[in-house]
Amino acid sequence: MTEDHAELNLCPNCGKENLPMATRCVHCGSDMESLFTIFGQSQDPDEQSEDSLPDIIEEIRNDPSLKTPAEVAPIPEIQPAEQIDESLLNSEELPDWLAKVRERAQEEEDAIGDLASSTIAMDVARSEEASAGVEEEFNAWINRIREKSQQENSVRARQLPDDSEDPDQVPDWLQRIRALRPQSEEEITHEVKTNPSYVDEMPREWTDEALEELRRQALAEDQEQETEPLTPASTISDERELPAEPEMEELSEPVQKEPELLEEDFHNIPDDEEELQELLPEDDLSHSSEAEETIAEEAMEDTPEPGEIVAPQDEPDTLVKEALEEPGQGIPQQGDIQPEEPEPEESVSEKVPEEAPIEPVELELSPEEQDKEPEEEEQPTDSAAVPPDLLLLRDQQNRASLLASLIEQEGRVTAGKQAIQKPSGRGGRLAVALLLLIGLVVSILIGPAAMPADAPKSIPAIALSDQIQTLTENDEVLIVLDYQAATSRELEALAAPLLEQLHTQGANLAFLTTQPSGLFLAQSLLEQAGLAEDTQVEYLPGSYLSLISRAMNPAISDGQGALSQVQDLRSFRLVLLVSDSADNIRGWLEQIAPWIESLNFAAVTTQMEAPVLLPYFDSGQLVGYAAGIADGNIGSQPVFSYRAYRVGLLLMLVMLLLGMISKGEADAIQREEERAE
Amino acid sequence: MKRLLPLIVGALSGLVVLAAMFFVPQGSAILSAVLNWVIAVASVALLVAIASLVLTHLRFIAKGKKGFLLSIVLVVSFITTLALGILLGVDNPIFLRLVGAIIRPIETALLGLVALVMMSAAMKIFRERGWSALTVSFGISAIVFLILGLGFLQNLKIPVLNEAIRFVEGLPMIGARGLLIGIGIGLLMMAFRVLFGMEGSGND
Repeated sequence: MTEDHAELNLCPNCGKENLPMATRCVHCGSDMESLFTIFGQSQDPDEQSEDSLPDIIEEIRNDPSLKTPAEVAPIPEIQPAEQIDESLLNSEELPDWLAKVRERAQEEEDAIGDLASSTIAMDVARSEEASAGVEEEFNAWINRIREKSQQENSVRARQLPDDSEDPDQVPDWLQRIRALRPQSEEEITHEVKTNPSYVDEMPREWTDEALEELRRQALAEDQEQETEPLTPASTISDERELPAEPEMEELSEPVQKEPELLEEDFHNIPDDEEELQELLPEDDLSHSSEAEETIAEEAMEDTPEPGEIVAPQDEPDTLVKEALEEPGQGIPQQGDIQPEEPEPEESVSEKVPEEAPIEPVELELSPEEQDKEPEEEEQPTDSAAVPPDLLLLRDQQNRASLLASLIEQEGRVTAGKQAIQKPSGRGGRLAVALLLLIGLVVSILIGPAAMPADAPKSIPAIALSDQIQTLTENDEVLIVLDYQAATSRELEALAAPLLEQLHTQGANLAFLTTQPSGLFLAQSLLEQAGLAEDTQVEYLPGSYLSLISRAMNPAISDGQGALSQVQDLRSFRLVLLVSDSADNIRGWLEQIAPWIESLNFAAVTTQMEAPVLLPYFDSGQLVGYAAGIADGNIGSQPVFSYRAYRVGLLLMLVMLLLGMISKGEADAIQREEERAE
Repeated sequence: MKRLLPLIVGALSGLVVLAAMFFVPQGSAILSAVLNWVIAVASVALLVAIASLVLTHLRFIAKGKKGFLLSIVLVVSFITTLALGILLGVDNPIFLRLVGAIIRPIETALLGLVALVMMSAAMKIFRERGWSALTVSFGISAIVFLILGLGFLQNLKIPVLNEAIRFVEGLPMIGARGLLIGIGIGLLMMAFRVLFGMEGSGND
């Protein structure tokens, strides 16, 4: 606090304390500019003339102690600020306090501050370095883009097949070689004259432009040779020193520059030529020029990848001989790759040289694998395919081809163990149905065979017949129709003779049906029984359930009056149940019969349901029932084909036996197989 | 409560019917009323089922669902039958003959198909199930009764043979009696479960 008080300024007018930076007194408002005095200068504001300001500024500028390193090297960004300051300093509107501050700052070394000045200088230096680095990076980036585009263009031009393909399917690399050597006799001279462009450094990638240039040179020299004598081979070195034609030099310049940019790219033509030379016989190789050999050798030296075939420079013929010693490599290709005459320019079309490095492998493949080759070629290039320009050893090529074939065959269905399909059984079912139908149709067409009249009946049927015979005239008999249309034929054939007999004996018949379909089914039954068509058949909803209360208490039934024919169940002597359901018959016997002991129940049912009723007959709850053909003597009826019935039964019997026999046969086969194993 | 109420109603109804069975003739009126309720409810349920069937097929026709032509046949047949039954009456001989002429061959043909399926199943049962007591007994009994059904043996008129045939034909009674006894015991147990609220009829 004491220090604060010591730094406080006293107002010259009122004498009170004010802050050191205050220009006016906070108490009296008087001006306190006089307090801002600069050492070495007049403290009287009147003595400070405005004309002295430029001198002061000039002095500050000339003061070497105040000069910063940045000021030594003029910075364009800082100069405008100084100019502004000068303009401000020169202006008459500059406040006095600001001028004093600046003067003080000029006088004191630490006013601007070495730190600030050094920071400014560092920033300037950094900005310069950064700008220079950005420019370098930008230029490098542009160069990379150009290189990449050139590489892509060259690769695309080399790989894209030409539309005008040669019908002889001559590979591209061979066409290029042919273009290089239009005449075998003059190859040496041609190559020598084209070599100067590549003497110093062999291009690692032969682009189309370079090949075109070589071909043009060759053609141009051909024209010259027509007029001039052939240059001897000893003058090759002399001719190399000769300056090339200006046009050729212009053309060769970009060609020479391109390989430098594509040092890491793969190279096809020199390697192919290397392979070609390996495969050629000595006679053909004798025509090749030294320049070609050097080209191939240098190309091989430039690509010393592991596994590549490196041609020794001192013994080029040894590799050729070794290649020729291998069967099926050199000789078959000789005719393909050594044409006697160069092809015209139009026929020299670019093709994808896929077959060139794979050919030796293909010759060793089996015919089946050779058949698969077109399929593989049609497929798009994938990772498994061997790149055409990749130079590999023979065993590597074999392995690569084997791997490619394995990849191709992966996922394909092979002829392995196939699951044995189970027979669906439709054929068997169809055969059974056809056999049954044929038997039935034939038996029907032959005609119904009369059933023996004295065929024995079952005991329930005999009991039922006896019960019916005991009925006298005017005895009430209730006929309950409870069956479906499907079984109507069988039940009507059984029930009709019984109804006819009852009607003959003079019994009063009352008809009820518990099924809606019983209304129209009763008509057929009445017709077969010879009863009047207007016989009333009443529908009883709820079946026997609606009759339970009437069976329990006849008084209730008197008041109902719903059924005109069934007022009281006790008036009936016999209830004949014509039903295809043993359950319904059982309901009648268990729910109605116990309440009316005097009432007799008999049944006509299907043969399928008859066994269930047998206990009720055995217990006496049923006085008798008729089921099946024999019980009703149905076989003697004209509407029934007894022969068809028997044929059907026979077929069922045969089928059942066939099923058992087939099962026994299958078991025997299985046992034999187990024994064999 | 949602589950308890049906249980209580079911148990009370069963007890009332049972009591009415025992207290005759006093309880016969109650029994008659309860059974009439059952018939009325069953009839209404049948009407609801018919309405649901028709509406379902009308929906199929409206949406053009696969097989809607059969739905059209069903709806047209239903409407025609209903109209003829209302106009002519259910006792009209023409109406009854018309309906019978359609239903009878259809159901008979279906029963013939059942015979074919049964025969095919009888042939395959040995392959599918192998040799077991069930299949062997089935095969033997089927063969025996098929032979008896042909009537050849009966026509021989050999008294001993006829006695044997009658004995064999009476054998199914043993199985049927056991079957009926089992059905009776099962019904009794079910009745007790309903009466004591043990049957989960009100689960849903």
